[in-house]
Amino acid sequence: MSRPAAKRPPASRPMRKPVSSTPPWLAPVAVVAAVALLVAAFLLYRWYTTPLPLPPLNVDATQQIITSITGLPASELDAVGTGSANNLIKRVTGAALTGPNGHPEVFYVGAEYCPYCAAERWPMIIALSRFGAFSGLKTTSSSSSDIYPNTPTFTFYGATYASQYVDFVSVETLDRNQNPLQSPTSAQQALLNQYDAAGSIPFVDFGNRYAFSGAMYLPDVLSAMSWKAVADSLAQPASPQAKAILGSANLITAAVCKLTADQPATVCSSSTIQSIEKTLG
Amino acid sequence: MRWQLLALAAGVAGLGISIYLTAVHYAGVPLACPATGTINCEAVLSSRYAVITGTNVPTSAAGIVWFGVSALLWTRPFGRFQLAWSALGLVTALFLVYVEIVQLGAICLWCTAAHILVLVIFLIAVTTASGVRVRS
Repeated sequence: MSRPAAKRPPASRPMRKPVSSTPPWLAPVAVVAAVALLVAAFLLYRWYTTPLPLPPLNVDATQQIITSITGLPASELDAVGTGSANNLIKRVTGAALTGPNGHPEVFYVGAEYCPYCAAERWPMIIALSRFGAFSGLKTTSSSSSDIYPNTPTFTFYGATYASQYVDFVSVETLDRNQNPLQSPTSAQQALLNQYDAAGSIPFVDFGNRYAFSGAMYLPDVLSAMSWKAVADSLAQPASPQAKAILGSANLITAAVCKLTADQPATVCSSSTIQSIEKTLG
Repeated sequence: MRWQLLALAAGVAGLGISIYLTAVHYAGVPLACPATGTINCEAVLSSRYAVITGTNVPTSAAGIVWFGVSALLWTRPFGRFQLAWSALGLVTALFLVYVEIVQLGAICLWCTAAHILVLVIFLIAVTTASGVRVRS
């Protein structure tokens, strides 16, 4: 009797180590490529949606805008109060600053390219027009290549201001393309060294009694607007532009009233201005 | 192990940047960064996006949390948490880059450094995850 043949294992393919079909560097390279594409898309979208600078207005159109924004009724300014403005005004100490006409001086330093200066000139013009009158203001826009590009504004360069209460002295250091315009005098530079060591602009000194630097509201509230659109928006007290610009104007007005011993009374005696004055110290 | 150390180092570096930005926010001192033109840290960090919506807490404080957790995670063996956490960080960083480029038109160098560290950590997580899948 023969022994049964030993069972042979069934025929099968030899075992192989599994091999990944995708190289290990593919995933990180794909991530980097995707991120680069996204960033490029952001840049393209930014370029496509950045508003172009508006051509400056002619003299008559500029004057119409100025008349509009400086002719707002006091009741509307009072109704806005400080609006959405950020009170940056700080008390400073120093010898009283007197202007070329013997009045307390409001000293401004800015630049035409600067978007924060662009924002702040609107309330400065409105506020100072309550104490006197500007002439020779021209429209311009902030730099096209800076943050908040092409913010519509005016320039103090070449403008004059006349008032029986306060003197206004301005220095616009650079134009919107950052070419030199004006330089502070040595006395003005000494004020900047004392009150604005960081060199922030815009800088405003109220008679060496109060000072602030920066804008009281963000310029994006004026983005893509024409000068007329901004002026029209100021007639609507609830508009974001009115709250920002008129609120800032009231803060500036209160600081100037402190310099002028609350003159003129028609401006400085309002409850809004009086309550802001109390906060200034 | 080498990649793990690199991710940990990136987390610590990011933590340092976030702490610096948060300290500057509360101290109100100038940043060591250009403040004019497109590279403008001040413009970015004084915008409404510099604080967490609805709060006064600086966005960099969230960076402290994210980088801190990331550094802790990378001290442990690699797992899905590192990948998920770094993916969350990358999405957030891309949103902040969108804000800088599209909304503000200004770039903050310190923020960009932090965003690059987030990307590095995510790349390490993706690479490590790919390597784990091949070995298994």
